[in-house]
Amino acid sequence: MNQTEPVAITGLGCICAAGDTVDACMEALFRGDRAPAPPVRFRTTHPNPFPVFEIKGFADRPGLLRTSALGLQAAHEALADAGLNQDALDGLRVGVCVGTTVGSAMNDEAFCRAYRAGEDPDLAPIDCILSSNPADVIAREFGFTGPCQTVVNACSSGTDVIGLGASWIASDICDLVVVGGADELGRITYNGFIALKIADETPCKPFDAHRKGLNLGEGAAILILESERSRHQRQCKARAFMLGYGSACDAYHQTAPKPDGEGLKRAIAEALACHDTPASAVAFVNAHGTGTPDNDRVESHALASVLPGVPFFSTKGYTGHTLGAAGAIEAVFTVACLEQGRIPGNAGFTTPDPTLGALPVCEPMNVAGTIALSESLAFGGNNAVVLLGRGERS
Amino acid sequence: MTRITVQGIGVFGGFGTGVQAFVHALESRPVPPSVQPIPTGHGPMDLAAFRADLTPLEALVPARTLRRMDSFSKMALLGAHLALTDAGIEPANQAGLGLIIASGFGATTTTTYALLDSIARDGDVCTSPIHFANSMHNTCAANISLQIGATGPNLTVSQFHLSVPSALLTARQWLLEGRVERVLFGAVDELSDLIGYLWLRQRGEVNHGPMRPLATGEESAIPGEGAAFFVLSARDEATPGYCTLENVSTGRRPGLVKGDSELLILGADGRREFGAAYAAAAEGAEVACFTPHYGSMPPGPAFDMAAAALMLREKRAFASPEHSTCDFRASLLSPGAPITVDRMTCLTLACEQGFGRIELGRL
Repeated sequence: MNQTEPVAITGLGCICAAGDTVDACMEALFRGDRAPAPPVRFRTTHPNPFPVFEIKGFADRPGLLRTSALGLQAAHEALADAGLNQDALDGLRVGVCVGTTVGSAMNDEAFCRAYRAGEDPDLAPIDCILSSNPADVIAREFGFTGPCQTVVNACSSGTDVIGLGASWIASDICDLVVVGGADELGRITYNGFIALKIADETPCKPFDAHRKGLNLGEGAAILILESERSRHQRQCKARAFMLGYGSACDAYHQTAPKPDGEGLKRAIAEALACHDTPASAVAFVNAHGTGTPDNDRVESHALASVLPGVPFFSTKGYTGHTLGAAGAIEAVFTVACLEQGRIPGNAGFTTPDPTLGALPVCEPMNVAGTIALSESLAFGGNNAVVLLGRGERS
Repeated sequence: MTRITVQGIGVFGGFGTGVQAFVHALESRPVPPSVQPIPTGHGPMDLAAFRADLTPLEALVPARTLRRMDSFSKMALLGAHLALTDAGIEPANQAGLGLIIASGFGATTTTTYALLDSIARDGDVCTSPIHFANSMHNTCAANISLQIGATGPNLTVSQFHLSVPSALLTARQWLLEGRVERVLFGAVDELSDLIGYLWLRQRGEVNHGPMRPLATGEESAIPGEGAAFFVLSARDEATPGYCTLENVSTGRRPGLVKGDSELLILGADGRREFGAAYAAAAEGAEVACFTPHYGSMPPGPAFDMAAAALMLREKRAFASPEHSTCDFRASLLSPGAPITVDRMTCLTLACEQGFGRIELGRL
């Protein structure tokens, strides 16, 4: 793997159940706020509805999937944060790389149900899906003409896109890349995770001894990656730097992580190697930490093995598992934590599990370092890791 | 500069299975499409389509491995096996191999039928976990990695008709960065009843053949399904391979996309809404178009790429089917003529001025 130059992150945007801006989310995390509840946006026939982290009060856009509308809101915040208005964007080579799971699926339930019942249903829901490719929607909204890529790598999508977008900057394919993830809550994913028996019927408890699974969430986060040439022309300070990206597949099971965490360890090693960063330089890890028994066991042992003693936490206790958006949301939180020099406590963790390799931080704490990891594990055995460095604004 | 070569090709579709079948098709007239009855609100309607045959997979993969796999994953697995075998690579223990899948629509049969049926029939509590897992876009990448032991980076991209150039851009980046030395790159889409139904609803009339994509003012598209896989390598390989992958670009370009390569392989597929843009891009250029052999589908640019790779290796041209219907000024390749150009560009145009360019070079 060739070593890579750091890529500047000049803007952030985020919307999820924790808040509708990056600042609102961070305030909620450090207050310890979380309020999972039974779903409101869709009905369920489960006798005891499993709680979810739903965004309240978000106005959907007619003709667009909620997923893509969430992505647009985060993109608007991130571009404004980067100081990029339409005039500044004109003339730049801008690419878009967005991760999702729901945003590309041809699974409008009402349409399919009617079609299967022998009707000729209105095509509007299909037209909505076909015009809602999350990367295309952002490119269309802002008139970007660079490459568009919607990554559907299940739950690692939002982390993968950051590494892929950074590669476009490093190779001078783009001056600016809008990267991130977006996913909405839906009945199909809700039922699917419950069917797999990896959902918790109570508020999720990542890394806790009594964890029983995840709570689904929804949201979007966008990061603006920018070339040195562009940001120097604009005299824009970086909020952070993308230092490395690692990705590896377990090739073990479709929905369960490999017990020895070997794929995750290789992804971490690859991310560190990109910038020749020693493990000792990592100040903290924003872990995947879904709250499923398997994920948290594998992840804790991998972290104990390759990053011993490094503080880690999961933020899914505040946001739920936002699937394709999770990696991007957590990368945004990681950048914000590096800026603030502190990390939140791992919501839901109260009882140590003796079978884990390491335990998360329980309460907010200050951190002194300038480099952090954010990682995602996914169906299909994907492991993705980004290494982030503190920027120039803090 | 790292040189990227195409070391293996695995293709199947309406024309048959494997490189030899593809070459045979390119040397012949397109096979006629088959007729598929599609359920509609007015009863079954016949749709002419280029359907793929998955039977050859049974000779390559044990039946028990395929037992829980849906048709979408089976298609991808067949493409992967064909490409690896063509490259002389054992389809097992491929530690470190990168894997990238491009798909316009994903596992629509599983998503639309098996999964939703399980919910609709018996309620939320009876949702099938197997069908849910199989409904994920990246399920076929997961199945391939499991079967061949591919532990390198693994990515699935969905960008509708620009999925191939978009995903190939990343494959090239991985190889140039030294992230991996080889990438198994594949494009796959299935023609499920849902996709067939949407085709009928959105496009109306059924064309029973032939496709006439060079008659750009005419609607003549016929849907297809299949997969085109490639082994891409940045190694010094023992065998020379087919060609080099020189460049990939994609995005939106306001105005005209002019071809500046020595030969343009047009992704025109009989959809009238893109005809004028292809004609404008190809005006005055030397061109070829092979879509009547495999039909209209998101993986189409990967089949174009396979045809270009074969022409570059064999140094001879294949005929563009229905070339006499070409309604714009261009120089069409003469069948069997020696290929003297060093570079070819596969050009795909999509809605909202989207484009993809895949540039291949002679070894």
